[in-house]
Amino acid sequence: MIEVEGLEKWYGFAQALKGISFSVQKGEVVGFLGPNGAGKSTTMKILTGYLLPTGGSASVAGFDVVADSLQVRRRIGYLPESTPLYTDMRVDDYLAFCADIRGVPRLKRNKAIGRAVELCGLSKVLGKNIVELSKGYKQRVGLAQAIVHEPPVLILDEPTSGLDPNQIVEVRKLIERLGEEHTVVLSTHYLQEVEKSCTRAIIVSQGEIVADGTQEELVATLPRGPLRARVRGPEENVLRQCNELLHGVPVGVIERGDGWIDYRIDVPEGNAPVVEAFARLVVKNGWDLLELVRERASLEDVFRNLTLDASKEAQSA
Amino acid sequence: MRETMVIFRRELRSYFLSPIAYVFGLLFLAIVLFAASSMALVHGSQASMQSFFGMLPWVLLLFLPGLTMRLWAEERKSGTLELLMTFPVQISGLVIGKFAATLCFLAFLMVLTLGLPVTLDYYGSVDWPPVIAAYVASLLFTGSFVAVGMFWSSTTRDQIVAMLLSVVSLLVLFVLGYPTLLEAMAGWMPAVVVDVLNGVSPYKYFESIGRGVLDTRDVVYFACFCGFFLYANALVLQARRHKG
Repeated sequence: MIEVEGLEKWYGFAQALKGISFSVQKGEVVGFLGPNGAGKSTTMKILTGYLLPTGGSASVAGFDVVADSLQVRRRIGYLPESTPLYTDMRVDDYLAFCADIRGVPRLKRNKAIGRAVELCGLSKVLGKNIVELSKGYKQRVGLAQAIVHEPPVLILDEPTSGLDPNQIVEVRKLIERLGEEHTVVLSTHYLQEVEKSCTRAIIVSQGEIVADGTQEELVATLPRGPLRARVRGPEENVLRQCNELLHGVPVGVIERGDGWIDYRIDVPEGNAPVVEAFARLVVKNGWDLLELVRERASLEDVFRNLTLDASKEAQSA
Repeated sequence: MRETMVIFRRELRSYFLSPIAYVFGLLFLAIVLFAASSMALVHGSQASMQSFFGMLPWVLLLFLPGLTMRLWAEERKSGTLELLMTFPVQISGLVIGKFAATLCFLAFLMVLTLGLPVTLDYYGSVDWPPVIAAYVASLLFTGSFVAVGMFWSSTTRDQIVAMLLSVVSLLVLFVLGYPTLLEAMAGWMPAVVVDVLNGVSPYKYFESIGRGVLDTRDVVYFACFCGFFLYANALVLQARRHKG
């Protein structure tokens, strides 16, 4: 649905995009993650035909964003950052205007507006002026505007920024519903948003893509955390046996509690059967195993790992 | 074309929903009343219409930039320009739609001032052909001012800057059509330069049509003048696609 190849954008002497490439298949909900100024908005502005790229190419639904800009613009719904709206208009008039200008035929217009209003929960405020609406409702009007012509592709630039927690939950639910019918690309600062509503994440930093994959794939790239075991048994005995039988894996005490001790077992990369060996050891000696946890990396760790490295490099360079 | 009409309708509607429409309505009413009062003094319908068309360019010069300054600057500031430019509309469609809506709104106000000659005709007699010609001239003249004001509005996100630039450039264009100034300039400038400068002034052509002669050359001039500024306007917007 979206193909981006070596996309570059310069603002004067500053390079905002350093030749990024990715593709989005039909039906995917892709989250664009990255610190401020990473190039998320620039990419979206190019995809929507608002900005022209300096180099590389991008196409939406098979149409080039530069050569067939109008065709591309007919096939996308766009919610720009900070949700600009004609605040002097009434909600229904505004949606009618957006439907008209997107070329929704007159006969189908009311039905199209009705669908957008229903999906975005706007029926209560249809007759109100946009200027009177709360931030949450304004955001919904912005989303309704983007879907009124039933575009195959939706591009949402920070759809939940500036909303309160309840509104965020509502908008996320809405995006999930939209994801059933549309291909969605959204940008965000919130990692939970990607974990909850996206099928895939693309992490950008300093104008480059540093990671691209499903949440599981991205988490799998990180080294797995240590094993934490809470055991009831004699300390010296446990430590000695572990050191002898766990193939030289470092084992240490984290915390001593009431009759139990937390051990930290630094499992090395690879397929060494450390967990199994440890479990057998516990059973053989008749100790009580109270807890056995593998610390898991989250998308947040991936994000911090990738973007902090990049910004440190940039600072030292 | 269809999209241009959608833009046109939205813009025109927003004029009638905003207070600016009423401010301009009152302004036009004021000059009509002022012109009508001069009839009582001079005792002649001709004098009254002359006073109306004599005031109109100055009123437009002072107040029209206040109307045109928001056309693009406001959209730029609020971010709606980004949305507008991602709708499937050519930039020319956006420019023409906005221009036509503004001109249409002003034409509507001018139609309302027809009450003055109609009243004059009721009490005395009005020589209609020159009055009609003067109205046509006023509309073309207004169009040229709108084109200039809209152009400046596209260059900035600050409405006040757009207004000041419009007033200054319109004033310069305006006085270049003033005979007194031209005579003064002729003293120390080559005649060709004076002619060229005079040739670009909309006021010269306004005067020419206002005398009651509707010359095609004058109409062509206004068409070119508006075309030039509208094209420049479109170029400024197009340049935004590179800069962001």
